[in-house]
Amino acid sequence: MKIVVCIKQVPNTDTVKIDPKTNNLVRSNVEGIINSFDRNAIEAALELRQQAGGTITLLSMGPDSYITSLRDGLAMGADSAILLSSRKFGGADTLATAYVLSEAIKKIGDVDLILFGRQSVDADTGQVGPIVAEDLQLPQVTFAESLELQDNNQLTGHRLLDNVVQEVKVKLPAVITVRSEMNSPRYETPLNIQKSFEKEITIWSENELAVDPTQIGQAGSPTVVKRIFSPEKAGRQTQMLPNNAKDAVAQLLADLNN
Amino acid sequence: MNNEIWVFVQLNGQNVEPTSLQLITKARDIAGDRPVVALVAETESMNVEATVKEYGPDKMVILKDDQFHNASDGEIADALDQVVTDLKPNSLLFPATVLGRSVAPRLQAKLKTGLTADCLDIYFDGDDLVQVKPTYGDDIMCEIICPDVRPQMATIRPNTFKAVKAATDTETVNYSFTFHPEANIEVVSETPVINSAANISDAKTVIALGRGANNEKVIAKAEKLAGKLGGMVGVSRPLTDNEGFSHENQIGQSGNTIAPDLLINFGISGAVQYAVGIENAKQIVSINTDAKAPIFDKSDYAFVGDADEFMSALLDQVR
Repeated sequence: MKIVVCIKQVPNTDTVKIDPKTNNLVRSNVEGIINSFDRNAIEAALELRQQAGGTITLLSMGPDSYITSLRDGLAMGADSAILLSSRKFGGADTLATAYVLSEAIKKIGDVDLILFGRQSVDADTGQVGPIVAEDLQLPQVTFAESLELQDNNQLTGHRLLDNVVQEVKVKLPAVITVRSEMNSPRYETPLNIQKSFEKEITIWSENELAVDPTQIGQAGSPTVVKRIFSPEKAGRQTQMLPNNAKDAVAQLLADLNN
Repeated sequence: MNNEIWVFVQLNGQNVEPTSLQLITKARDIAGDRPVVALVAETESMNVEATVKEYGPDKMVILKDDQFHNASDGEIADALDQVVTDLKPNSLLFPATVLGRSVAPRLQAKLKTGLTADCLDIYFDGDDLVQVKPTYGDDIMCEIICPDVRPQMATIRPNTFKAVKAATDTETVNYSFTFHPEANIEVVSETPVINSAANISDAKTVIALGRGANNEKVIAKAEKLAGKLGGMVGVSRPLTDNEGFSHENQIGQSGNTIAPDLLINFGISGAVQYAVGIENAKQIVSINTDAKAPIFDKSDYAFVGDADEFMSALLDQVR
């Protein structure tokens, strides 16, 4: 089975700040890591490779610093990695990002399964997986919490919708986005980390892909960020309850019942 | 191109998913003279029009086909593409539910337009639908527009707005389209999840437990208290690793946004990722041993002290 796992590198912090002067996000000095849900997608790929054989290629679009997270994914056990890196890809929204990923997947060729994490923890959209599925005209199972190989060209997945669990059968090739409930990603062993440095990371720019220049980067992105700001949260008037739990509860219940 | 705001009405079994109704109300609030249109895709035997109408859309566009029962994301997106490409709305809103977040981007890819995920607010600036979405945790907000392409698409976080009934003369349009089955995928079954976190968003009372209340005794008492108050137990992220809790019980970003009448937080420090999920609670009571815990700034009532003691006192005194 030929598996591609699309991953994104995200800042290793919840506390990205806004530069008060420029109103831009301050991202420098923040270490990059694999988006956590993408680790679940890599783990799912490793388990499927164990059952069905095959290869796992990691695919990511971003600056050269994204090699850090691709290297981590290789250390988990993926076979090879491709970084889509070019100034022309910069400023891409979900539509333009998914377009370049789709073109890269076409170039890899004969891919059976494309895995994503359910969403990134920074931009939080979860849109790139479904757009890639549409671009490649493939069926999708999003937010999958389980995945079972039926035979070599069919998977059964369970998706947790808002109040139902959906069982879905899908023939390969297909796109799956993975919830963290599916598995516990394995740790990188020292041996695998060492091996990861022997594996090649291929870099493709627009020159290696058959991309339409009007559909990549900022030019191919219909959305524009108009403004970034820190919201002011409306505060609440906080009333302190007495130190003794019994008195505190008595006062609280009296207040709430009024 | 017209100036209509369309809202995709999601169905959960025979019922309307509540966010869709919230979006009809919000669309009416920001519409000005733009018509608000509810887009319904249902089976022949279903009839949610009566429910949808109560919230006052100017028009309902109805797609009926029995194959919508257990339809795949791709099939729904294909049907919506036909009507949207034909009737060309100005804006198209989806609930940021799992289904909304799966179908909307497939439709976006067909329409080659922009889509903003998980918005917490929307408003018009001229013809631009300004879409306000959180990023890097809910500490930072982005305003996103889609200036040159229509429709302007957004998914909106559940329970961000309140659904309000409104009386309007609603025009109903039965739209004829062709359902194209997708060959390589089959939705085999749908099993309702009972008592899951899907419902925590709707609970009137929520007992929330965090790291400072992470022991069996307190958890057992919390369940008992929730039963007594007719509420539900929710957790902050650290407790989702406990047996018996999951992502579905989680409150906050990447979990659930809740809007109960009463929320009681036990042992929750109040990180931003949590706080954003509770903003819409009416009354917030927080119990924490640390007087400086940020949760207290977000609370109406504060008790500095032991979670177990306060819980026991509540169990004693609540009738």
